[in-house]
Amino acid sequence: IELEKSHYSDHEIRKLEEEEQLRRRKESTYDDDDEAPGKTVIMAQDLEDKWEQKLLQFEAAPRITDADKNNNRTSLNRKLDSNLMLLVKQKIGNQELWLLPQVEWQPGETLRSTAERAMAMFLGDHIQAKVLGNAPYGIYKYKFPRAIRTEDNVGAKVFFFKAFLQSSDLSQAELKEDYVWVTKDELGDYLKSEYLKKVNRFLLDL
Amino acid sequence: MNAALPKVLCLKKGTLLKQVFALSSAATPRESRLCAAGDAFVSCYRHYKSHPAHGIGKFKYLLPKEAPKKRKDKVQMKEINVGTEYEYGDVNIQMTSYDMCLVEHFAQYVHKLCNRLSIRVNESYAMPTKTNEVLFLEERGSKMQLDAVLTTHQRVVQISGLSSTFAPIFLEIIQSNQPEGVHLLVKEHTEADFKSRLKSRPELEELLAQMN
Repeated sequence: IELEKSHYSDHEIRKLEEEEQLRRRKESTYDDDDEAPGKTVIMAQDLEDKWEQKLLQFEAAPRITDADKNNNRTSLNRKLDSNLMLLVKQKIGNQELWLLPQVEWQPGETLRSTAERAMAMFLGDHIQAKVLGNAPYGIYKYKFPRAIRTEDNVGAKVFFFKAFLQSSDLSQAELKEDYVWVTKDELGDYLKSEYLKKVNRFLLDL
Repeated sequence: MNAALPKVLCLKKGTLLKQVFALSSAATPRESRLCAAGDAFVSCYRHYKSHPAHGIGKFKYLLPKEAPKKRKDKVQMKEINVGTEYEYGDVNIQMTSYDMCLVEHFAQYVHKLCNRLSIRVNESYAMPTKTNEVLFLEERGSKMQLDAVLTTHQRVVQISGLSSTFAPIFLEIIQSNQPEGVHLLVKEHTEADFKSRLKSRPELEELLAQMN
């Protein structure tokens, strides 16, 4: 709200005028009897009182919904003021790891469509999530352990894309394995350190 | 006024006889100093037209002549949209809300952010406000009509020179910093957007229709 250089609004001017009229009438009785019946049907002060009563009746929705009570990390109603990210438990090679949803790139496909395919695989087909640009946000390179390495495949690169969920309606989601919605601080509980370092670089938190 | 009188006196004394010259030379420095002390902006040093240093500070005749200002601003810039670097052309960021202070502050924030990130801002303007009247019809025996007057404010920031690698990051920053109650719309600048700012002239159009 701006308090400097602000003029009076119509409502405030009206209120001041009516206050002055009341004062004048009290000081000198029977001053403007002709004007009285026409104007003072609803006074500005009455309107203000009515609005204040309405405000008291209004209850804002609670800010801390499930977060405090359950600490249920699978629901989207958790930390309403910060961003939540989806982590899935995936099997890569021999290990089961917590990762951001990951899918192998097929040749002939753009990187962005690969990301959308990964989203569709984990969250169902009709997802209202928006990928903003064609450029990836981050990259993570790693080398396979010596047992799996062949001549061509020394390691792998993982490109990260960001997508914004438009609606929080995930009733159609068929998530088979474990999934978690976490904030940036809680990422450290789940991800490995190297992976985490690279991922943290492009995540904005407010 | 005070500065004019001693000047007139000096001139008169100068044109008179030489005998008076000594007096005037003693008088003028004191008076000129007085006028200098009284008014710093009034220069008593403007010489008469016959003085050799007349018009010594003039320079406007040296500058090239400007064409007279035209009224019609039909400037429309369109950049290459698909190129090797993939830069966006003119992009409009439109913010609408019922609360004017919020919208203005948010528009200022976006503008300053663009300056900070060295994105060129072409224009930053406001669209005219739209007023809506809300009437409640409560029918509980007596029909009451409570009026509420809502004003919708819109601010537009026009940007050019967004690279496609940076655009999603920029969008994300703006999105996450949106205040409550402010709708954000980012779209490319079109002719329709440009024309929505101009007022239509119904009389001109009528006359044109009559002519054709």
